[in-house]
Amino acid sequence: MNTTQTQAAEYSFLKKLRSQILVSQHGTLLDLDQAYPELVGEPLTVNGKLSSSDNPNRYKQHGFHFNADNCIACHACESACSEKNNLPAHLAFRKVGYIEGGSYPDVLRVNVSMACNHCEDPVCLKACPTRAYTKYAEYGAVLQDPDICFGCGYCTWACPYNAPQLDPVKGQVEKCNMCVDRLEQGLKPACVAACLGNALEFGVIEELPDGREQAKLSIPGFPDPSISRPNIRFQQKRSLPADFRRTDGVPIHYQRDEQGKDVFKPKVRNSGKKPEFGFDKLSSRENPLVLFTLLSQFVVGAFVLLMLLPQLSPAAAALTPVSHPIAWTGTLFGLIALQALGLLSSALHLGKTRYFYRGFNNLRHSWLSREAAALSVFFGLLGAYAMVTTFPVLASWLPEPLAAALPTVASAGAVIFGLFAIYCMTRIYRIKARPFWDHWHTGGAFFATLLILGSLGLGLVFGTASFLAGNRVDDLLHLLSWPLLAGLLLQGVALAVHLRYLQRRGAEADVSRVQMLTTYGKTYIARWISFGVLFIGSVLLNVWMPEGAWLLAAWTGLFILALAHETIGRALFYVLVTPTTMPGAFFWNNKYFEAHARKTGLANMPQVGVVPDAH
Amino acid sequence: MLFGRHHKNPIKIPPKPVEKWAYTTCGYCSTGCSIEVGVDKNGKAVSARGVHNASVNQGKLCLKGIFEFELFDSANRGRAPLMREHFFDAYKEVGWDQALDRTASEIQRIQKAYGRDAFAIVSTGQILTEEFYTLGKLARGVIGTNNYDGNTTLCMASAVSGYKRSFGSDGPPGCYDDFNHTECLLAIGSNLPEQHPIIYWRLKEARDRRKFPLIVVDPRVTVFAQMADMHLPINPGTDVVLLNSLAHVILAEGLHDSAYINAHTTGFDDFAKLVAQYDPVSASKICGIDEDTIRNVARLYAKAKAAMSIWTMGINQSTHGSDGVVGINNLNLITGNIGKPGGTSLSITGQCNAMGTREFSSCSGLPAYRALEKEADREFMAQYWGVEKDFFPTKRGLFQTDIFPAIETGQIKGLWLIATNPMSSMPNTPRIRKTLEKLEFLVVQDAYADVETTKYAHVYFPAAMWGEKEGVFTNTERRVNLVRKVMEPPGEAKPDLWIFTQMAKRWEQGRKMRFPETPAQVFEEMRELSKGRLCDYSGMTHDKLEASRGLQWPCNEAHPNGSPRIYTDGKFQHYDGKAKLIPLPFIDNNERPDEQYPFWLNSGRVVEHWHTRTKTGKIGNLNKFSPTPYMEMNPAAAERLGIRHMEYARVVSRRSDAVVMVQLTERVAPNAVFIPMHFHECVNRLVLGLLDPHSRQPAYKQSAVRIEPIADQETAAIANVAARTF
Repeated sequence: MNTTQTQAAEYSFLKKLRSQILVSQHGTLLDLDQAYPELVGEPLTVNGKLSSSDNPNRYKQHGFHFNADNCIACHACESACSEKNNLPAHLAFRKVGYIEGGSYPDVLRVNVSMACNHCEDPVCLKACPTRAYTKYAEYGAVLQDPDICFGCGYCTWACPYNAPQLDPVKGQVEKCNMCVDRLEQGLKPACVAACLGNALEFGVIEELPDGREQAKLSIPGFPDPSISRPNIRFQQKRSLPADFRRTDGVPIHYQRDEQGKDVFKPKVRNSGKKPEFGFDKLSSRENPLVLFTLLSQFVVGAFVLLMLLPQLSPAAAALTPVSHPIAWTGTLFGLIALQALGLLSSALHLGKTRYFYRGFNNLRHSWLSREAAALSVFFGLLGAYAMVTTFPVLASWLPEPLAAALPTVASAGAVIFGLFAIYCMTRIYRIKARPFWDHWHTGGAFFATLLILGSLGLGLVFGTASFLAGNRVDDLLHLLSWPLLAGLLLQGVALAVHLRYLQRRGAEADVSRVQMLTTYGKTYIARWISFGVLFIGSVLLNVWMPEGAWLLAAWTGLFILALAHETIGRALFYVLVTPTTMPGAFFWNNKYFEAHARKTGLANMPQVGVVPDAH
Repeated sequence: MLFGRHHKNPIKIPPKPVEKWAYTTCGYCSTGCSIEVGVDKNGKAVSARGVHNASVNQGKLCLKGIFEFELFDSANRGRAPLMREHFFDAYKEVGWDQALDRTASEIQRIQKAYGRDAFAIVSTGQILTEEFYTLGKLARGVIGTNNYDGNTTLCMASAVSGYKRSFGSDGPPGCYDDFNHTECLLAIGSNLPEQHPIIYWRLKEARDRRKFPLIVVDPRVTVFAQMADMHLPINPGTDVVLLNSLAHVILAEGLHDSAYINAHTTGFDDFAKLVAQYDPVSASKICGIDEDTIRNVARLYAKAKAAMSIWTMGINQSTHGSDGVVGINNLNLITGNIGKPGGTSLSITGQCNAMGTREFSSCSGLPAYRALEKEADREFMAQYWGVEKDFFPTKRGLFQTDIFPAIETGQIKGLWLIATNPMSSMPNTPRIRKTLEKLEFLVVQDAYADVETTKYAHVYFPAAMWGEKEGVFTNTERRVNLVRKVMEPPGEAKPDLWIFTQMAKRWEQGRKMRFPETPAQVFEEMRELSKGRLCDYSGMTHDKLEASRGLQWPCNEAHPNGSPRIYTDGKFQHYDGKAKLIPLPFIDNNERPDEQYPFWLNSGRVVEHWHTRTKTGKIGNLNKFSPTPYMEMNPAAAERLGIRHMEYARVVSRRSDAVVMVQLTERVAPNAVFIPMHFHECVNRLVLGLLDPHSRQPAYKQSAVRIEPIADQETAAIANVAARTF
């Protein structure tokens, strides 16, 4: 739909009168030139050319108006968009899905076409660590620059509407660009000009398009508009059935609430599936993050305990360079190696690893940037500390008091930044569009891992060192069993509370819960069993501390079990999350079909539109 | 600050480096949309747009049109002629001369050994009218077989037959502009939003400007049914009863247009006598809808100042498809709704040039609606072409659907298939498979080398496709529109016109006759031949067609800008100038669900696919919406059988079976299922396809099946993947 003004039909043109509406239904100013006057004077370039427009509404917030009564699911909008943006089959900026209610022949299928909503509060923009996103004063367009993006995919987690699309082939995110080039010519976006049901319209957001009567903020199935204040308005006048089903395999149905108003609540459909282990479904694109988060938490935990415990208890005397110089140095460099592996894994998770340094670009808004920065500082200080304590000569050129203070400063800094990094890590997952994660359980789980793996790891290394040196190991391990117990307790409470939260929160959170209890049901039970073994084992060790080889063997056993326990737990953390999105269709935009296509080999035919698994 | 940065990022929009736009008409369905294809400086097609000032689509395109330019680069196009001794040998690439010589000599051998009609030709609705005309000249004037038909027998034959029976000639009388004038629209067996999205948009625009009742008759709750003011979910195959009953109410309540009936029709008395038997009470029992609804629709339709009916395969693909069309025509004749703005019987055609083949291919007659049965027409064409008059048969030969049984039983030994894929499209495909094995010689001419039927071919001709050649298409509303050449065909592929003219040279008779080689020269012959005929092209030229974005025939000196409607004066093409009211007794000969096969099987189009997916199955941005076959099934029925959403199930009919993925939906009745028609080794394995006695069109939409759950889902998935790879 590469149309210019002279080849455009009448319906393609934007309204030429200046809109008189000043405030959006969310209560914000529509005149972005008044809200952000400093950006008005700046020139706008499109594809390297200075762009100008005499559109009187250029600095007003624009958005899509969708008439759900009219959409026929002909896919013309999606196709016009994909054609204009040269998109391959597996990618789409706009997608049409549907929900269906009633019974034959009194059945209603509501089709919904959805792209980016160019939100007032663009959570994608805030999430993006590279600052690839810009919200422009022109039209209020939220645009993303794929050349800046390094393909972490974090914006795709943050967006409640599944608007940013991660292209696994190019390793970058791309999204709807509001057809700003067309807007500058006074033309509506390609999708709107292509609409064949007269369902999709576009203009100044609160300005009713011709022939429309409603500009509602939501329709059944649409995620909570308060998350990002999306610039989309709906018309939906037809009477709706009491209950809507989805076709895309997500076990959600939408039920009219008790008052009988047209308020629909998402409920989980009982799939009647029996619990399975689901091991084949544990692996996901986020596997590198399983490794990264576990390693980072392990390293920070071990280091923090290593630094703090000798300050707190004489039983931690073993945890000093004086007692075990080799274990000490080995531990420090071992932690550096593990953290390096973690960071590498996280960088390899990026679509474009070579641009990893762009991760620090958005400290102002992005918890991901903050995490990356804090973890880098931690890593640097950890390295510095290891170097100056192992090779004091390195600091010998410094004035005496400074050289003496350096290890303390470095270790204190590493402790603070390490803990802060893990805190940032927990905040990364507090995303409203991912209700499974958006709970304190995430923080609880991360800090629990920090304590569990940190204490078990330290105990294993220094216990072995003590044992080999012919010393007693029970004092040290007894001390370390306290943080271990604390971690397990935290984990147990977090898991239990989370389960109740998922049910209470309902909708996508409840889908995750049902999946947890069915698709991964046996794994979930196994996880509680391993938790029980770990907990009872720790308690037993704490109250009845044997001595010698048996103790060390038991401790090692707990460590190995904890590694498996944590790895499976973390894998579940990633595969169970169910995002808030619009309903998909039967094949397209249906993650269950995508999984099926990958498994059966349908995905190997490029025309199926599913990218085969790279792993 | 919310804007993410202090300075504006430069905006990057994916580039479309179009150097020039080439005008064509879409080669998918018969809506007839004008498309411009954008070509970059390397001559590669990179974009498409609807032509904003084209009357048909006014700048709009459906998803297939939007991505049509990607066909130029699509996989498995034929690049060289292929040949082999037996169909189980491997193909070898050969030169055109070799392939054409072998084909010509095989045709001559078969005709000599078994008679002229032992070699059959089955063509299409997809090639250009100039090509149809030239093929007709070759088939009728040179090769001389009477077993020559088009695959339009599978889609439009009933409409053609119904128009001929009622009005004395083929030719849809109305146009899309009728939506802007009608006061009541009755759509029977048509799912416009999926089948003809642009025509739906024209209707939607008309309804947004001016409300008028839309009544949709369809056993399935399609999107169109959902958008209608009234939806009549009648029992499959009972439309003739409904139409008779509507007429019954209209006559019984005196709502008919007596003046029109007296002036312009014959046969009223017999007609009235028959419909008297179809009172709404009896009809409601057969149709499965209530009597009040029938009366209500009849009154609405008859009282509207202008009322129109549209239909597609729901009517045509039936054991009484021709009767269904006649029934619709009857309804419009008794209410005076033919040839007036907003009052018409408008068959919504299938393929892009189904109309072109009807007008000029000589399949069922001779060019420009001439008939083999009329001596004057035979004489005229014999003289015009330079053929012995007696060389023409005096009545048309077998229809496509009778050609295959004649192969099965050995009367036909050789076959030439042109741009059609019976291995996927014919009902009861296992039988077609066996049939094709029996051919002594099969030549397949197609743009794609992987079209399923090539499996049984001895020679394959790689053909140029839409946009790789020049010529005209005629759309649903009789609009002749131009396809310009955008791209060279790949490799050795050649335009069908070239193939036909080269073939003609291999007969002595062909060398004597004139076979013009350029489409414009052929068009000149067509203009000459159509002058004074109903489908009058005489006022058209290729350039004028492009400039006006298509012209509707008749287009001549009297109507230089074409004619939106025909029969406006109430003069029809029967000898007496009148239309016929034809009584339609209903005989229920369908295979109906029973204890063994308890479900109605219905089939139809989906918006993203075209016919047997030889094109759309290769365009990822289309195919992804349904990359594999599926079946719509009612959740209650599925639960009883233990069948679950998104799992595979086995569908069994008296013919064969098929494996499909199940989509649970309340769109279909608890005793009915729906499977898209497009997929190879799928629904057409199941379909009975009883033939309509007039049009010989198969009934695709009324069969009985049973459904079985599949325990081993993995094997089913593997079978499904395997069936998609051919």
